[in-house]
Amino acid sequence: MIPSTIERFVDRRGRAIGLGLMWAVIALLWIPIGIVTLMSFAADRALAFPPDEFTLRWYREFLQNDAAIDAVFTSLQVSVIATLITVVLATILSYAIAKYEFPGKGVIQLIVTLPIIVPLVVVGVAMVLFFGVINVGTGFWSVVIAHVVRTIPFAALIIIPTMLRFDETLEEAAKDLGADELDVFVNVRLPNILPGIVAGGLLAFTISFNEFVYTYFVRDTRTETLPIYLWNQIRFEASPEVNVISVVFLLVAVGMILLALAITNVQRITMR
Amino acid sequence: MSTPTPDSGSTAGGVRQRSRQYLRQILDAFRDRPRARLLVLVGIPAFVLLLFFILPLAYMVWLSFHDGMPPASLTLENYLNVVTTDLYLRVVWRTTVLTVQTTALVVILGYTLAYSMARFSKRTTLLLLLVILPFWTNYIVRMYALINIFSRDGLLDWMQIVTGLAQDPSGIMYTHTAVLLGLTYVWLPLATLPFYASLTNMDDNLIEAAKDLGAGPIETFFTVTLPMTKNGVIGGIILVAIPTFGAFVTPTLLGGTDQLMIGMVIENQFTEAFNWPFGSALSVIVSAFVVLMLLVAVKFGASDVVTRRSDTQ
Repeated sequence: MIPSTIERFVDRRGRAIGLGLMWAVIALLWIPIGIVTLMSFAADRALAFPPDEFTLRWYREFLQNDAAIDAVFTSLQVSVIATLITVVLATILSYAIAKYEFPGKGVIQLIVTLPIIVPLVVVGVAMVLFFGVINVGTGFWSVVIAHVVRTIPFAALIIIPTMLRFDETLEEAAKDLGADELDVFVNVRLPNILPGIVAGGLLAFTISFNEFVYTYFVRDTRTETLPIYLWNQIRFEASPEVNVISVVFLLVAVGMILLALAITNVQRITMR
Repeated sequence: MSTPTPDSGSTAGGVRQRSRQYLRQILDAFRDRPRARLLVLVGIPAFVLLLFFILPLAYMVWLSFHDGMPPASLTLENYLNVVTTDLYLRVVWRTTVLTVQTTALVVILGYTLAYSMARFSKRTTLLLLLVILPFWTNYIVRMYALINIFSRDGLLDWMQIVTGLAQDPSGIMYTHTAVLLGLTYVWLPLATLPFYASLTNMDDNLIEAAKDLGAGPIETFFTVTLPMTKNGVIGGIILVAIPTFGAFVTPTLLGGTDQLMIGMVIENQFTEAFNWPFGSALSVIVSAFVVLMLLVAVKFGASDVVTRRSDTQ
């Protein structure tokens, strides 16, 4: 039994305490990001807070650094290709799951979510082992394949509910009016499910662009994505440029969120 | 029926027309073969996951029972090696401790956050964005952000000097605390989402009813709110505990070789020691641990949370 004085205190002050704690935790989430952004303008070579002087020098060095820019383009290439493959695969799978009953449906749904559950490092080493055995080896396409495996579950989890929400009678109506299967899909179903597909694609792209662990195991030395480049910098060089690359990732994250907001609602992306 | 295309005369329109023609032919071929259609729709994605995800895991399990790269002889030595070596037992223990501590911290902080968001605030969209944006920021970037704070002369040291708590602090990098805080920071936003979802899905009338029956806010919380959001809590715990147990980026960057976690040992076996069967055995142990956690969770009624999180709206 809790003393009634405490209960009364919480009853009266609970809201203020709760909101205070909430903003405190949110502040904790944002302080490190704010610090990284601030430090990207710090003039000193070594990390020291507070910085004595501010400069744009590290941004200039980043833009003139061919290796870093190459890494950006490699990342973009991998992510765009992986996202396109993922969206196609996740869409046809979601279509089948929403429209048909078939034996093994539960198993398929489980297999689709499994990559989220199995620890990244385990899948990473399993892939590099197996890719060696089937002669795919390491390299650009191994990275793309790994990213597809990584992003399919997330895209499917967003696209499947969109497919399930689609009103099948619309298709019946279109068919009754004489539309063939292709017309029905392109002109009736696709416009209805497109927001879900785009949201799934955006999430897939974001995850792929940020993906590190799978990539770390299945890449070769020539395939250096931006997270890999960042990792090597932190582990072996630690130049102030790292702060700048962090800001680049931040801007990409904000950009993707804004893009997602423009075409869908937050709840759909964050709550899956 | 033909769809009128405004630009059917141009080349682009021609290509479009022709590709539609091909697509239509393909669909016609499948029209009266529902099984074949299903096979293609389900088969292609399933094949990709089977070949590039399931088979690699199966091969890894098989390899873990060999005393070298196949064709080597079968053995249990890799597993025995783990349970008889002090170092590995200590690593497994440290990993378990860190996982439990991280999960507990995340549940306390995340549930507080989610509770206030759901109960006391109306700016839902803004708050969700504020929580999820840090999570969408690259994992390694977030680790580097913490290095900025934890290292000697970082923000933490500066704050200690300014507040007079310490004269000459030297940061907390490469300590247990650093790894714990790092893991907590990384997973806090992710766990907040299922907490928040279950809290908003809960029927508020139940809270009113408890109040009418004379329960204070704290008693209401422990007898009504917490039990009603049990599934969300279990979901959050799973989302945090699994990646924490397999973590290798955070302990490598923040803990170094002083704070070995099992994920780091696996990585090391593959990239430096080249003892792949032993690394595989460690991976199997990690996976077995994860499966065990899931089974426990399902037993406590969280099967929905594990297999599909789409029913939150």
